[in-house]
Amino acid sequence: MPVFKTPFNGYSVKFSPFYEDRLAVATAQNFGILGNGRLHVLSLSPNPSQPFTEIAAYDTADGVYDVAWSESHDSLLVAAVADGSVKLYDTALPPTSNPIRSLREHTREVHSADYNPLRRDSFLTSSWDDTVKLWTLDRPSSLRTFKEHSYCVYSAVWNPRHADVFASASGDCTLRVWDVREPSSTMVFPPHELEVLTCDWNKYDDCIIATASVDKSIKVWDVRSFRVPIAVMNGHGYAVRKVRFSPHVRNLMVSCSYDMTVCVWDFMVEDALVSRYDHHTEFAVGVDMSVLVEGLMASTGWDELVYVWQHGTDPRAP
Amino acid sequence: MPPQNTGAEFGKLTNVDQQDAGEDASKQSSKASVFVNTEPMREEQVQNAVKFLSHPKVRGSPVIYRRNFLEKKGLTKEEIDEAFRRVPDSQPSEQTAGANQANTPDIQRPAQSQALQPGVSGSAGVTTLSRTSSRYSFHWSHALVAVGFLVVSGAGTAILIKKSILPRLKSWIRKIVLEEEYNQLESTDSKPTVVEEASKAAKAAAAAAVELAKANQEILTCRNEEKRYFLDAVSLLNQQMQEMKLMTNEIRRLEASSGASYSRREDYQVNQTSSKPFIVNGKRDYGLHSVTSSSQPASVEPSSAPHPKSYMEIMAMIQRGEKPSNIRDIDDSPPNPNQQPSNPRLAPRAKPWEVGQVQHNSTPVFQSQVNGKDLNSSVLDNSDNAVPRWQAKNARIREIDNGVENNGYNAASSQQPIKRTWVPPQPPPVVMSEAAEAIRRPKPLVQKEQILDDQSVHHSSDISDKVMESSELSKSEGQMEGSSTNAVLGSAEILEES
Repeated sequence: MPVFKTPFNGYSVKFSPFYEDRLAVATAQNFGILGNGRLHVLSLSPNPSQPFTEIAAYDTADGVYDVAWSESHDSLLVAAVADGSVKLYDTALPPTSNPIRSLREHTREVHSADYNPLRRDSFLTSSWDDTVKLWTLDRPSSLRTFKEHSYCVYSAVWNPRHADVFASASGDCTLRVWDVREPSSTMVFPPHELEVLTCDWNKYDDCIIATASVDKSIKVWDVRSFRVPIAVMNGHGYAVRKVRFSPHVRNLMVSCSYDMTVCVWDFMVEDALVSRYDHHTEFAVGVDMSVLVEGLMASTGWDELVYVWQHGTDPRAP
Repeated sequence: MPPQNTGAEFGKLTNVDQQDAGEDASKQSSKASVFVNTEPMREEQVQNAVKFLSHPKVRGSPVIYRRNFLEKKGLTKEEIDEAFRRVPDSQPSEQTAGANQANTPDIQRPAQSQALQPGVSGSAGVTTLSRTSSRYSFHWSHALVAVGFLVVSGAGTAILIKKSILPRLKSWIRKIVLEEEYNQLESTDSKPTVVEEASKAAKAAAAAAVELAKANQEILTCRNEEKRYFLDAVSLLNQQMQEMKLMTNEIRRLEASSGASYSRREDYQVNQTSSKPFIVNGKRDYGLHSVTSSSQPASVEPSSAPHPKSYMEIMAMIQRGEKPSNIRDIDDSPPNPNQQPSNPRLAPRAKPWEVGQVQHNSTPVFQSQVNGKDLNSSVLDNSDNAVPRWQAKNARIREIDNGVENNGYNAASSQQPIKRTWVPPQPPPVVMSEAAEAIRRPKPLVQKEQILDDQSVHHSSDISDKVMESSELSKSEGQMEGSSTNAVLGSAEILEES
């Protein structure tokens, strides 16, 4: 299975929604504390001796914490940069023309970026300045700023079935559900006692959302009855950094954690852990499942490696 | 049991206008209401919140921390709003009023943020808050008492000294007079003795006066010194307070910059009590993995993740003020900030979960999977025998793709490159006509509040209180049920934000 070595510590990996063989990797130097960053665009090739080709690599002055592919343009990327800027890159243009935009509105590190999969024209960025901002490609300034959290917002994700609904997970231990048509959040509840680092909507049931936290657990909630979780998944040894629902299987989800493992769970089953992959030798920080190829997953971590493998196989197998 | 009539309001208690109640109900029955809390308010929770908000120490804290505290306790927005409404004068304007209050919020905020962040239970947080701040207030009253004592003692010593000097003076005079009389009786010379005695008396008086003056001066200097000491003490206290404030700010900044997710609250044990029947994955024994030689985990508290050694080194460097040497100066600004993105080559592909979703799109069906197919088939042709498994699954997905309409995007196919202009997004598929009706009905009030909201947000990204105020304002007017995305974009265009 292909492995790619990045010069900096990995932070996030995302498959392209247009090309089965393409993915983007966000990396930051010096573990993202202080240093430059780099955004890689990689292409998988069937050639076993050279499994990865780097289509593009963009250097940034500060670390790149997250990346999101555009759903409208096959070559556009949104990068969430640690200096508070949001940068747009077009891989179809020559490297000297990139980035095509640098949107500077957040006052602190931008931690996540997510593109609207239904409207395909707007994207969200969430930042450590406690806000979430809504942008479109053609405007130089944000459409809206959502400011209700009292601490860093670690993740903002669109609902895959409701074009105007999104959720945000924050270090103030709450999860907020928003509707862009409303001026303030429509729901707020505390899924964990400690900071909520990530959240993701179920792709097949529009009311189900998963959250994961510093408290090492992953919880799955139905927003219609949010007082009690549908499922609680323990098993990670340390904080869970990212969680993603499978685009192909309703009950399947993948998570990565500071315990250096990537785990796949089935939350409707008593013994929820389906597989555990421990290929990383440092914090596993980014994970993604391909929308176009069922079972294809990618992960990256602070060990500066990017793995791409099929669920059920060993990521380290040649 | 909570009163059932609150349930009928569907959590839109902030709506003041009564005529919207009926429209609310119709909107709640539409699909979008799923993401709103529909549970009735819990009176017990509201009362607990009111008690919390009425506490004098809590009054001085920023509204956003008070709200966050209640949110962490599991209160819904409606319950929190109701509690705020019940507690009089709990609005953020209270903080700006009064010079007296200016000091206490400064003291309260670091104390309270320290108490709140660890996520200790509410009562414990409030008691630590009261403890730390009571120590400060104790200091103030203590200082006042000390001042009073010093003044009283100064006055008392002055009185005492005066009392002691007067008798001494009198005795002096008496002695002199007696001596004079005695001398007069004994001596025969009157004139020179009178003169001598007069001079002696004058000298004695002068000496006495000098002593009196000295004593007064001593009193004055004592008083001045005492005053100076008191002022020094007060300034030292002020300095200490400043330092503590700075320290808490530093700590907060450091924790945030190092990524709060790593080490904050990892000292606290998490107790998972399973009282409700839900699916729990069994705990697995887990040991630390052996790591490569390049990064050994540092010695660490039991519940926080062991960071790689080089991470700790870099953190130490930063805290010492050194910059790691491998950082380059990179100019990552866009060479042409108005660069247009290139035309898309592929049409957006439908997602696997959108298969079978009913769509009432007015846009024409877009069959543009041809190009995608060509691309992938060419890649497949290149491989010889061992097709990587990730490509073998493509066929299934592509077949599904061909049958599905595109959702809401008027894209150009690569066969006909269209000049790129911003196309307004297509509305989402209409499932419930009533919802569409409610959304499309124009609401002038909506736009005004969008402007209010956007303006306040734009001007003060740091001043959370102001934003909280405006969002609370717009919530209390609460006319947001009718606005569509188009209205949002329209008002943004009107604003011409820069």
